[in-house]
Amino acid sequence: MSLLLLIPLLPLIGFLINGIGFRKIPKTLVGLIGAGTVVASFACVLFLFLNFDGQPRVEKVYDWITVGNLNLSFSFQLDQLSLLFMLIITGVGSLIHLYSIGYMKHDEGFGKFFAFLNLFIFFMLLLVMGSNYVILFIGWEGVGLCSYLLIGFWNKNANYGDAARKAFIMNRIGDLGYLLAVFLILTNFGSVEFTDVFRQAAGLKAGNSTILWITLLLFVGAMGKSAQIPLYTWLPDAMAGPTPVSALIHAATMVTAGIYMIVRSNLLYTLAPVTLEVVGWIGLATALLGASIGLFQNDIKKILAYSTVSQLGYMFMGLGVAAYTPAAFHVMTHAFFKALLFLGAGSVIHAMSNEQDIRNMGGLRKALPITFLTFLIGTIAIAGIPPFAGFFSKDEILLHVFEHNKLMWGIGVFTSMLTSFYMFRLLFLVFFGNFRGTHEQQHHLHESPLTMTLPLMALALLSAIGGFFNVPEVLGGGAKLANFLAPLFAAAQNVRPEAFAMAELSHSTELALMIGSVAVAMIGLAAAYVIFISRKTVPVGEGQEHGLQKVIYHKYYVDELYDAVFVRPVNALSVFFHQVIDFLLIDLLVEGVGKFVKGLSKEFRLAQTGATGFYIFAMVIGIAALLAWSLRGLILG
Amino acid sequence: MLSIISLSLFGILNLFLGFLKSRRVLLPATLLFIALAFAANLLDWNHQYVYFRDMLRTNNLFINFSSIILLTTFLTVAISRSFGTDEEHTHPAEYYAIMLFSVVGALMMVGFENLIMLFIGLEILSVSLYVLTGSDKRSLRSNEAALKYFLMGSFATGIFLFGIALVYGATGSFNLSAIGSYVSGGPTTGISPLLYVGLLFILAGMLFKVSAAPFHFWTPDVYDGAPTLFTAFMSTVVKTAGFAALYRLLTVSFTGVYGLWWQVLTGVTVLTLLVGNITAVYQSSVKRMLAYSSVSHAGYLLIAVAAKTPQSPSAILFYSLAYSIATITGFAVLILVAEQKPIEGRPDERYEAFNGLAKRNPLLAFSLAVSMVSLAGIPLTAGFWGKFFVFSTAVDRGMTNMGMVLVVAVLMSVVGVYYYFRVIIASYLKTGDSEPIGIRPLYRFILVLTTALTIGLGLFPDVVRQLF
Amino acid sequence: MPVFYPLLAVNSAIPLSYFVLASAALFSIGLGVVVVKRNAIVVLMGVELMLNAANLNLVAFSRYDPDLKGQMFGLFVIVVAAAEAVVALAIVLLVYRRFQTVDLDEVNEMKR
Repeated sequence: MSLLLLIPLLPLIGFLINGIGFRKIPKTLVGLIGAGTVVASFACVLFLFLNFDGQPRVEKVYDWITVGNLNLSFSFQLDQLSLLFMLIITGVGSLIHLYSIGYMKHDEGFGKFFAFLNLFIFFMLLLVMGSNYVILFIGWEGVGLCSYLLIGFWNKNANYGDAARKAFIMNRIGDLGYLLAVFLILTNFGSVEFTDVFRQAAGLKAGNSTILWITLLLFVGAMGKSAQIPLYTWLPDAMAGPTPVSALIHAATMVTAGIYMIVRSNLLYTLAPVTLEVVGWIGLATALLGASIGLFQNDIKKILAYSTVSQLGYMFMGLGVAAYTPAAFHVMTHAFFKALLFLGAGSVIHAMSNEQDIRNMGGLRKALPITFLTFLIGTIAIAGIPPFAGFFSKDEILLHVFEHNKLMWGIGVFTSMLTSFYMFRLLFLVFFGNFRGTHEQQHHLHESPLTMTLPLMALALLSAIGGFFNVPEVLGGGAKLANFLAPLFAAAQNVRPEAFAMAELSHSTELALMIGSVAVAMIGLAAAYVIFISRKTVPVGEGQEHGLQKVIYHKYYVDELYDAVFVRPVNALSVFFHQVIDFLLIDLLVEGVGKFVKGLSKEFRLAQTGATGFYIFAMVIGIAALLAWSLRGLILG
Repeated sequence: MLSIISLSLFGILNLFLGFLKSRRVLLPATLLFIALAFAANLLDWNHQYVYFRDMLRTNNLFINFSSIILLTTFLTVAISRSFGTDEEHTHPAEYYAIMLFSVVGALMMVGFENLIMLFIGLEILSVSLYVLTGSDKRSLRSNEAALKYFLMGSFATGIFLFGIALVYGATGSFNLSAIGSYVSGGPTTGISPLLYVGLLFILAGMLFKVSAAPFHFWTPDVYDGAPTLFTAFMSTVVKTAGFAALYRLLTVSFTGVYGLWWQVLTGVTVLTLLVGNITAVYQSSVKRMLAYSSVSHAGYLLIAVAAKTPQSPSAILFYSLAYSIATITGFAVLILVAEQKPIEGRPDERYEAFNGLAKRNPLLAFSLAVSMVSLAGIPLTAGFWGKFFVFSTAVDRGMTNMGMVLVVAVLMSVVGVYYYFRVIIASYLKTGDSEPIGIRPLYRFILVLTTALTIGLGLFPDVVRQLF
Repeated sequence: MPVFYPLLAVNSAIPLSYFVLASAALFSIGLGVVVVKRNAIVVLMGVELMLNAANLNLVAFSRYDPDLKGQMFGLFVIVVAAAEAVVALAIVLLVYRRFQTVDLDEVNEMKR
């Protein structure tokens, strides 16, 4: 059996064992099987990666189906892109599985949880390994199903129904776009195999209207899965699930499926400049929106969720300017530091006896030293402060954006400042200052067990050094990842070189831009420091704005200025986005579709009166209508 | 052909078996009969025969369709346990016999070469089903359903028969190929208007049988009122036979006027998809939801008929197979779950009855989940490929003709996921009773078999498709 | 070779069109009864009218068919209609015993 086949098979076996026997197998064995299969799968990926000769290959498992002249095979594609994603999925996945052993130890659904988690890994691997759009779709649906099951894992939460429904409707809208795109691909290219489609598409001209439709519809799919405007609100709500799930599915892997799909189809996207422009601006808007809402959230997981939305927006912004490598690079670094932050948050929640409100935390750095240190590294990484991972990837995206459009760049940099601010706000409120929780919680505070801290340390290490995989030349690096991934974009570069053309930026400009973005990150950090450390501000509950004003009144003049110039407008913006756009527009629009169907259903149901006479009458009307319609030519002469 | 004759004899034999004291022999005997008929059916593989002066024709397509019908009948009979609320006064032998007879009718509908055979086959099937629908004699709902089914069904038969008479008037024959050569041969006087009207009447009658909108109104009430076992039987066998007949009739006889019936069918398809899927959303009873789902699947199958490409028969076959297996599974689980806690003496068929099913019996929950996923058309199950093949016939026909239908179909399959998943959510994520549900070995075997088939066909669809 | 039958035949005493018109009228009356009437038995009679309208057509058309296929079909229809009527009356009886009425509007247990 080929090693490639073994990679998705191992988690599937884990799922089957745990799924069938979860009530009989002891917990230790469940954890061992669950985590062990993913680690073994990671070992296989690593082996393949180390022996990879740079030649992409497609390995056919078997001929799946033959319809007319369409031959669809169940086959896996091994190339640079799938390898990168496989490494992320199994690598980060292994760590999160390990972490879950500790985190879910006291949960009664331990076995079920690991079964679902393994199933998720299986589908995610299918998604990135499939060699055609149909297998990708199988993975796409499968991860959606697992995510759905895992969001509702703790269904005691009252909001669960809403959260799951929202996730469901939004993802299905996305899937609809994806399906239509696949049918368009099928009719136009007669194949859904990546290699065939791209080979044929390479002969087309940029701006082809069919390609435009295909790419737009594919992007609709990506919007749903990767939480972009207007289909993003399900992601913050999805935090109802256990924290390892948030880390694995809603931060590191599944939500980046949309980015994977666009990078995979980079040739099609390069041929559709209009779509790229749309992708870029939607990404930017999402990045800004996510970051601004994140500013004033008080739930530790909600902050991270909005931050994920925002970071995904960054990636799409990168894709929009044809910066495919930086986007993929950001996927990788983001997987490291966001998984780390979520797991750290999980460790905090664990220690705080399921408290998630940061207003009730504070000063935790003494009780949770390892969590604190790793969380700090993650925060620095996401804020974009060198030399940690986030700096390199985010900066590369911004560099490409600068090339493309200065306004976009400006907003991007501003968003980056917001990111730095809200992340340090989170860090300071949780780990610094005095403890604000109850006595019981304080008494209970403890560092998490080794199974939980070990993954934290590993991820912290990766977040710290992850950036060095792709150090730009200006900093004396070899841009290893870019070189590694370059063959993927060769065809696209051939058909439309201008999309990739980088005007030769002088090294000094490049350096200036870097310094600029580091500087704004520092401003965000400083602002957070001033407010939350020096002034010891604690955000107040909603409806208590008077309290906030009062507190600020007795503080420095700077605070008032800050408040008037910065906090209030942004606060208003944040509230505006959150309340008006989020609730009015998105909910009305997206949920409206669902409600509309339900309402229609209610109306349709009324036709089912139960009265036989009415039924027969309706049939007669139907026949009359059929006759009149089809024979209108005969009747009218 | 041997299958039709043997089934008729077996049915009569079954009636005699009813005189035996022991009822336990009935179920295995009936299963054996069906298996024998299935085997007899396969003898003619790769042969073409015409029987009784061009009345019936058997070929591989006939064998494929009838195998699906016999398979679903086998599965339905295997999950039968008791008939009606009144154990004392029921006669299982009669119900088994009537089921066998109705299958004879269904097989005649699949292999007809003459409109007389189509009419008789349809009537044998329908009249048997009227009886089966009302078989729960003590139940008000069952009686009501039988009455409604009968009145509407015979009304549809009247229309259908009048259509046949008009077509006969226009062409002078009941023979399919003779009608076909009249229609496409282009008689010197031009095609008679009688033929158009007759064709539309026949179509209306057939569309009623496969429950396509706006002739679907009987479906929810009848499916809801009939005993669940026979609902499962009706929604699978009638649909398969009806579509086999519809496709055969339209392609052999009426290819010459494709432009006419294509319009009608696309209109009906869109309406059926909309009505079936959207109404299913609001149902509170799983049984009623499955009834509307059956309407919506008629819509998907109609796409393949309307597209009329060389791939259409195999698409219809695969879709019917996937749909039948998944539907039987769904109803089989419903029967067990619903009778656990009756409400006012009636089985509890609401969504709430499924709460916490995964804890009560993991096998039931898993089979149910697989069947719902398959009905929803999610990949790696048979249902996905069914939809895929059906949609690709529409793609082959061309976007200008079928684009609109295709968009509606894809949209509605999204809606479908919503109501199918409600059952899965109830059984996996909600908490309910914790009392375990026990099942008998044969029942368990059937559930495992159908689930394995659904997944197996999803993984290796070509294994079966090579035969189609 | 299939033939299109002229509606005005030469060699018969009554033109074919008369039969067609009569059967159409019969069919319409049957349809009207089925749609309008609420009594199950009367509706059943309406259905019988529709079947017999078709029968009339079949027999009339078969006048011009050397094989008399139409008449043979007519016989089949009569047999089937009889079988249907048997089942119908059994069902109606059963319904009457349970509901104490055969009015279709009142036999409505499953209102939505």
